[in-house]
Parts: sequence; structure tokens; C-alpha cells
Amino acid sequence: MEKQRPWDGYLWAAGTTAGCTLVALAMRPRFDLVNIAMVYLLAVVFVALRHSRGAAVTTALLCVVTLDIIFVPPVGAITVDDAQYLLTFAIMVAVALVISRLMEDVRRKSHAQAQLAIEAETERIRSTLLASISHDLRTPLAVLSGASSSLAQQGEQLTAAERQALAESVFRQSREMADHVAKVLEMTRLEGGSIELRRDWASLVEIAGAVIERLRERLATHRLIVEIPADLPLIRVDAGLIEQALTNLLENAARHTPEGTVVRLGARTSGNELVVSVEDYGGGLAECDVDRVFTKFHHGKVEGAGSGIGLGLAIARAIVRLHGGRAWAERVPSGGTVFRFSVPLEPAPPMPPEPA
Amino acid sequence: MSEPRATILVIEDEPEIRRFLRASLGAEGYRVAESSGGRRGTIDAATHKPDMAIVDLGLPDLDGIQVIRTIREWSAMPILILSARSHEKSKIEALDAGADDYVTKPFAVGELLARVRVALRHSVRSASGERVLMLGLTRIDLEARLATRDGDDVRLTPIEFRLLAALARHLGLVATHRQLLTAVWGPSHAEDTHYLRIYMKQLRDKLEIDPVQPQYLLTETGIGYRLVASGES
Repeated sequence: MEKQRPWDGYLWAAGTTAGCTLVALAMRPRFDLVNIAMVYLLAVVFVALRHSRGAAVTTALLCVVTLDIIFVPPVGAITVDDAQYLLTFAIMVAVALVISRLMEDVRRKSHAQAQLAIEAETERIRSTLLASISHDLRTPLAVLSGASSSLAQQGEQLTAAERQALAESVFRQSREMADHVAKVLEMTRLEGGSIELRRDWASLVEIAGAVIERLRERLATHRLIVEIPADLPLIRVDAGLIEQALTNLLENAARHTPEGTVVRLGARTSGNELVVSVEDYGGGLAECDVDRVFTKFHHGKVEGAGSGIGLGLAIARAIVRLHGGRAWAERVPSGGTVFRFSVPLEPAPPMPPEPA
Repeated sequence: MSEPRATILVIEDEPEIRRFLRASLGAEGYRVAESSGGRRGTIDAATHKPDMAIVDLGLPDLDGIQVIRTIREWSAMPILILSARSHEKSKIEALDAGADDYVTKPFAVGELLARVRVALRHSVRSASGERVLMLGLTRIDLEARLATRDGDDVRLTPIEFRLLAALARHLGLVATHRQLLTAVWGPSHAEDTHYLRIYMKQLRDKLEIDPVQPQYLLTETGIGYRLVASGES
């Protein structure tokens, strides 16, 4: 149910009565007054279905007055001896009240149902989150405590190479865990609405360069092709957050496609938007996945396989939406997926002239 | 390893973090002094006369930024900050207050040691006032305002030279947007970040092999830039 301003219903009351009068005028040469009155009854039903009780009763009143003035002889006046039309009015008001009452019930119930659905969805997300956390954090935690206790308690008996290997797996798993925790916190912050955008003029070329540098190791397994035109306009964004969004898209591509495949990073302007794309050749998503892939905890076909809580893309989308942009996925004919996001462009800021 | 026996003051309230900092800095040959709080730290900074300070931004008793301001009142020693990822804003504030560089928690020790080395080397160099940069094959004389590559002139505009000089004052370290804008265009343009975007692009087009993936003029997203000359890490 859309929100309505309180006086909207009364405008509808007047408008519907006027519309019915036009119809009734067209009917007058051929129909009896009784049938013309039915048209007005229909008007009352219509307003009662869609608007407040007050608007419905107002319609009933307007209809009876209009009917009396325009159609009941003598035309052009309310006559006192037409008291029988008080009955018409009473019936119309009764219809208005009954229907309004029924509609109020219906609306209340559907509101309650929507509320229940939201609660169920929240509950589902919470339990999925807990399940994901226990899966994605328990393994690294087990490795951390196992490997580090081994180092602490058996350090003497281990060879230098074994100690090194254990220490490295502690380092790797703690990094992984820090990453998971950061993502969960980020999502919570984004959803809680507590993020304040620090917008400033930024260059997508620079942001992309920083992301590539940060992900150098993770992307080493793939062939990254960068296709970003040098003359892209500046964007007014929170550069740190957009960097995060792009990082998540590239990480997602590296994580879910076979090693050695190409990942293509591109950007272009389209109308008054800047569109960034990350295209992979990982076999592509199923049709239904294309719509769902940006939702939380969506893992693709194989649930639980591969790492990651499935928050990366949801975070990317939340960030982009905060900026007034969109994020979506498309299948590409060559057998892969392209993830895109857009941010709105603003008129370029003035530049100082370079002194000679 | 070129600065043996330098003393580093670690101001950090978490004993576990102090423990591994002490171990890894010690293993590199540095002497380590420790303070468990901000107030104690500002006093220790004066009494121990360390060559450098590592300051945690999330101290319980005194704001890390306040610690930096206090130290900066009387000392130019390099200050490295440890910050959490969620404290982007205070990180920038700390850098503008005079900290030289930052490491975000959690960090690998290699990353921290690299920053320490650069910061210590930088403090030695600023005294001697080196004014020639080597960016790959490009040689830039900031004093004479000359840039050459393979004997050919690389034409840089006066503003581009000024921006390079401002970056070079933080060689190997991060320079914030505000620091660069103030140095090149003056305090009234401290918020005009778009000036930097345009001129950094011009500099990269002239000095980098691949301007999208720069080797010398690095972006610190949301914070500033870092100039890395050849042979620095």
C-alpha cells in the first residue's frame, strides 16, 4: 500500500463524483434515474475501496447532492420534497462505511503479514550469518590454536622447516579471519546506516590502481587485463568505500573462477553515470543466480565450497547504493559473468589555470 | 639495517602487541623502549630521547593524536602510527598533526619494519637535504627544476615541480591531501582535492611507464599519496 497524503482521498472523492456525473450525463437520454443512481453508488464503492472512511462518506454526500441537483427534477435545485433521496444517501453512506471497514481490516492484516515476513527474513539472515561464521571462522580458529600450541609446546622437537610452516599457516589463517571479521563488521555498519559518506573528488583510475596493488598476490593466479580509458571524468565519492567495493568484485572473480583464466577490469561513462565492470570467464552463473548473486550469503551453486562468507558482493552493492548507483550481474555469451556497478557523475569542478 | 642501535619508543596499551613488537624490532637490531599509555609515552619520549616513536591511535588514557601533537611541539623524530581499519578519520588527523606514516592493524611484521626503515632513513636525509630524485630512468633535480630521461628533457610545469617537491619532502612516506594542497596551492585550497587528482594524473602520464599501475607515485586511497623513488622500499 503506497503512502497517501491525508487530503488525497477527498480529492479523489470530488474527482470521482465529477467523473461519474459526466458518465451519468451521457446516460441520461436513454436510462432511468434508478440506473443513473447506480453509477453514483459505484463511485462510492470505488472511493471506499481505495481511500479513508471520511473520503467515502464525503463521496456519498457529494453524489447524492449532485444526483439531486442535476438529475432529479426540478433540475438545478435541491427540493425539499425529495426527502426520499435521504434514503439513497443513507444507503450510500452505509455502503461506504461497510466497505471502508472491510478494507481497513484487509490493510491491517496485510501490514501484519509484511511485518511477519520481514521478521522471518531477519531471522533467516541471522541464522545464515551464524552458520557462515561458525563455518568460516571455526576452521581458521582450529588451525590457529592447533598450530600455535604446537609451536609453543613442541617447538624443540620440530624441525626448523616444520616450525616455519606452522608459523606461516598461523599468519595466513589469521589474515583470512581478519578479512572475514572485517566483512561482517562492514556489512553491519552499512546496514545499520551508521556510515557517513566522506565524499570528495576522486579518480577511478587511481582507485583501480590502488586496488590492483593491494590485491597483487591474490590476483597472481589469474590474468588481469585492465581496460580503463585515461580520460575518465572525476567522480565525487567516498574513495575508500568505492575501493572496497571494487576490491570485493575483483576478489570474487579471483575466488570463484579457475586459475589461469582472464579477469577483465573495465570502466566507461554511460549517459551521466560511470560504469565499472569486472568480467570473468569462470563458466558463468545460472540464470537465477544472476539476480541473486548480490544478495547476502549467496555462494553460487556449491554451498559452503570455497571460502568467503558470501558478503563481498552484498557489501559492494550496499556501498554503491549509498552513492546513488546500481550494482548488477550479467552473463556474457563467451561463458562468464560480468559484474557491473555505476556511480552518478556530477559536473566537473573548476580548475585553476596553470601559471606560465 | 643501515641504522643499527636506533632506539624506538613503542607507545601501546596492549601488552601482547608490545611483546611481539619488542621481539621483532629487537631482532632487527633496534633498541626498544615501551610505554603502556599516552601520558607516560609523552614523558618517555622526552626522557628516553628515542630516534623514533611508534604510537597506537587507540590509547585509553590520552588520544593518540594528542600524543603526536605534544611530541611535535619539541621534536621532529619520525612518528609511525598503528591504527585500526575503522579509524580512517583519526588516521588522517594524526598524519596532519605530524605523524609520518601509518600501519593498519592487523599488519605483517615485514610491513611494519619496512615503514620503520623508511621513516628512520628519511629523518637522516631531511637534515642533509637531498634534492635529486631518481624515478626509474628519469632524473629529477628539484632545485634546478630539471627533469631528464636518457638525456632527453621531460617537460614538467612549475606546479608539477612543486607537487613533486612536496611529495619528495615525504619521500617513501605518506603525504596527506591537505599537506600537498597546502604546500602547492596554499592553505585556502586545502580542500580542493580535485586539483591533486588532475596534477597527479599529469605527473603519472609523464613519469610512469603504466599510469594506471604506478610504481613511483602511489595512491593512498582516501588519505593522500606516497612517492617511492628507485631503490627505496
